Amino acid sequence: MTTITRRPEARRLPAHARPNRGRRRSWVTITLFVLPALALFLLLVVAPIVVAVYASGFKWNGFGGLPTDFIGFDNFTRLLESEIFFTDMWHLLVLVLLCLVVQLPMALGIAMLLNQRIRGRAIYRLVFFSPYVLSEVITGVLFSLILSPTSGLANGILGLVGLESDFLADQDTALMSLFVVMTWKYFGFHMMIYLAGRQNIPNELLEAARIDGATGWEVFRHVTLPLLGPTIRISVFLSVIYTIQLFDLVWILTEGGPAHSTETLAVTMFDIGFGRSQVGYASAISVVMFVLSLVFALGYQRFVMRRDLEGATTAMGDTR
Amino acid sequence: MKRPTLPLHAIAWIVGAFILIPIVYAVLGGFKDTSQLSTNPFGLPSPWETGNYTEVLAAGSFWRQMWNSTFIAVLTTIVTVSLSAMAAYVFARFAFRGRELLFTVFTAGLMFPFAVAILPIFVMLRTLGLVDNAWGVILVQAAFGLPLTIIILRGFFRSIPGEIEEAATLDGCGPFAFFWRILLPMARPALATVSVLAIVGSWNNFMLPLVVFSDEASWTLPLGIQQFQGQYSSDTSRILAYLVLAMVPALGFYAVAERHLIGGLTAGATKG
Amino acid sequence: MKRTVTLIAAAVLVAGCGGGEAPQPGSESGAPQKVTLEWWHLSTSDPLKTVYEKRAKEFQAANPHVTIKMTVLENEAYKSKVTTLTQSGKAPDLFATWGGGVLKQQVDAGLVKDISADVAPVIDTFTTAALAAYQFDGKTYALPTDIGMVGFWYNKKLFEKAGIAEPPTTWSGYLDAVSKLKAAGITPIALAGKEKWPGHYYWAYLAMRIGGLPALQQAAVDHDFTKPAFVQAGQQLKALADLQPFQKGFLGAAYSTPDGQAATVSNGKAAMELMGQWAPNVQIDAGKGLGEDLGFFPFPAVEGGQGAITEAFGGGGGMAVGADAPPEAIELLKFLTSEENHTKAVAENAVLPVLKGEESAVKDANLKIVADSLATATGFQLYLDQAYPPAVGAEVNDSVAELLAGAKTPEQVAQDITEVAKSE
Repeated sequence: MTTITRRPEARRLPAHARPNRGRRRSWVTITLFVLPALALFLLLVVAPIVVAVYASGFKWNGFGGLPTDFIGFDNFTRLLESEIFFTDMWHLLVLVLLCLVVQLPMALGIAMLLNQRIRGRAIYRLVFFSPYVLSEVITGVLFSLILSPTSGLANGILGLVGLESDFLADQDTALMSLFVVMTWKYFGFHMMIYLAGRQNIPNELLEAARIDGATGWEVFRHVTLPLLGPTIRISVFLSVIYTIQLFDLVWILTEGGPAHSTETLAVTMFDIGFGRSQVGYASAISVVMFVLSLVFALGYQRFVMRRDLEGATTAMGDTR
Repeated sequence: MKRPTLPLHAIAWIVGAFILIPIVYAVLGGFKDTSQLSTNPFGLPSPWETGNYTEVLAAGSFWRQMWNSTFIAVLTTIVTVSLSAMAAYVFARFAFRGRELLFTVFTAGLMFPFAVAILPIFVMLRTLGLVDNAWGVILVQAAFGLPLTIIILRGFFRSIPGEIEEAATLDGCGPFAFFWRILLPMARPALATVSVLAIVGSWNNFMLPLVVFSDEASWTLPLGIQQFQGQYSSDTSRILAYLVLAMVPALGFYAVAERHLIGGLTAGATKG
Repeated sequence: MKRTVTLIAAAVLVAGCGGGEAPQPGSESGAPQKVTLEWWHLSTSDPLKTVYEKRAKEFQAANPHVTIKMTVLENEAYKSKVTTLTQSGKAPDLFATWGGGVLKQQVDAGLVKDISADVAPVIDTFTTAALAAYQFDGKTYALPTDIGMVGFWYNKKLFEKAGIAEPPTTWSGYLDAVSKLKAAGITPIALAGKEKWPGHYYWAYLAMRIGGLPALQQAAVDHDFTKPAFVQAGQQLKALADLQPFQKGFLGAAYSTPDGQAATVSNGKAAMELMGQWAPNVQIDAGKGLGEDLGFFPFPAVEGGQGAITEAFGGGGGMAVGADAPPEAIELLKFLTSEENHTKAVAENAVLPVLKGEESAVKDANLKIVADSLATATGFQLYLDQAYPPAVGAEVNDSVAELLAGAKTPEQVAQDITEVAKSE
């Protein structure tokens, strides 16, 4: 039996949660409170997953009720042998690395900046986060106009310094261009998380470090950054999961092209399921995506977030 | 605390420009006509054409889509947050066999992208008779919103010290009363946060409403945008005007809710 | 455990697919029961959009017990939505289709009504070419509303400027013309590389001109696309691409957007495009329009090839009736394609003739050329992405797009298409 929180002083449990006392009442409460969420979840999330797993064993065009042509793991071997799978995985790797090296540090830097008492920080905060609240459809349509090689705003500006590019229309620059749009859209979200994490760090701690003679950078490096650990780990986690599932933005901007240079697993899945009516095969891809996310999540929790697990996502645990 | 603020401002300005230029381009572009847009793509409009905006605003479809988006977003949020809060309460403050397993099942839902399940989900909705029905969108969005909301709320609920609960119990508060009268009010910032996330998610959803609604009268704004783009594909300035007007509610809402969002993300753990 | 999973999945699937909620019209009482018709199409722009709205109103006025519920979606959205709906085991009462492989799949799944008997009285009024895409094993599953062919739409002025007196009739002449245009500083061809389907026209036409129609029909049966005709088609297309004839950034260009294929030609920024009969309408919609300067010429013949220049490649659009649809849906379809109504649509340049003798109603000079070429064509091939099963058609589009991007060789294209075709 687990305890409620890991704080020693909280180990004295309230009566209704204490083992052996009021237990039956406890179970009634637990059932009543969890059941609605569980029912909805089982019906609309778990059941579709089960269907996808089931369908992944069949060669099936999606028509005619039940799939009948059982082919075992053929869909999976076919996927693992296909070139596009490795292309997609490569894109995933590149995008994740770019996120880790560019997007998240940028979000962290800006969050630190906005935590200072600089003038107009409320406005900056508002501005930086605003793309996150815009839909992928709006973002996609807007950027396909801006990044147009012939009449787009981007070339209009870059042309002034002789740096014109074909952006999404060139295999060599398409993935980078996609990443720029992703950064535009999502970095504010991570900035918000960091900002929240930062505000959870008591200022007294930082003041103390400063009184001890630490420079601004040293305070950041040795006090702020370690204390932000759990927040950063959560942000990295969400970033990877979202990248694995990246779909809407790519679909509207490039449909995965040119020549698959921006294709992601989700785009391949959609193309095969809807464009080619190979629902069994597409289900296999979605299962692979699910397993990939799951393995990543479990591994990440096991090896990276272990220390944070008992605390909450943004709780100020982990001070050691 | 004395710090050189000029470089900080410079960085903030550069990033701000990167974020703002596309939006400003869209706003100004909406005030041009298409020929102006090609001859003078980057400057201020001259003359300022208001026709694009007024025509979109005068069309009933825009307002109907706005209403549909709002209705669905509000109900999605209510369902997601209330169900999640109840479940998160149990996960945070009750000890029972299988708790971690059950919690893991919920979090695993985070790993399942919505787009890949669209076909089975659609089949499910038809079985339940929820096709062409706003509830079809609301319930699916709520179901897929549960994992993240539960994770966040559980974190907040956990951070509320046990002493408070003990005190409440001594005062004769049952678990339900504690949840309703103490926990929820204390977690208001956290609830605001997850509500904003739910509203934004619902507002921006494209795939699900597309699949669920056939009747144009039930369409949401993202559907309207795509249709509008198909219909006026050549009229860029009109599309820009539509985009801008579709942005306004989201941005306006965010400007109002921003305080709650950041407050919610931060407050839960330290206070209480 | 495994068994349970299977059972749940089966239950979900079965539950989802039990059909039979069709409204039952014409009950025993005298007055016809109220009927609602679900009509889905993708004509989001004029003139066709308005034409359909008018027809719907007229039909309702003539049949007061019928209410028409129209769902009009933009192309991509339409495809996703119809796929989701049909895969879940249902179809709208009346819906737009391109016929061919996609329609065949829906027919095989029992979602589309066999309307052979109902349309028997009018079937002879349609031209054979227009009907071909909607008939399988002698049964009719949809009626055509539009038919046309793909060819080069070119800018006469720019051709003149480059010193090309006559549109080329042979492939070597064509390559020559492209070089001349380039030399004159004119972008020869506009292409929507992002959307893939416009690129497949080149490969398909080349295969048709080199191997002849039988080669394409044979490939549909034996699933072998590695024969010389297909490889050579790829090689010729590569030869064209090597001349770099396309507009800047063509790989990311869409078809009808403001800087897309149609607009590029329409604004005089490229000399030609290979496109279907709707090209003039879209050009006007997307750009300034070429007016009198717009011309049409058929895809040139390849020297030593089996195919003739008079063989046409193209397709149209039709309307199919859902399996559970009330009889009124067929009435509506017949109403739309009746001589009186369809000729009106033709006269508005909304569609091309599908009925015999309708050619005279075509007003636009260029569309007249298309209609006449079609009427005198010695052979007809439906778009490959419609003629073949969806997976094969999609692979053709994909592979050709990669060939144009320089990411695949002609041999790889042939092999990849064959691989998918064999696995279907």
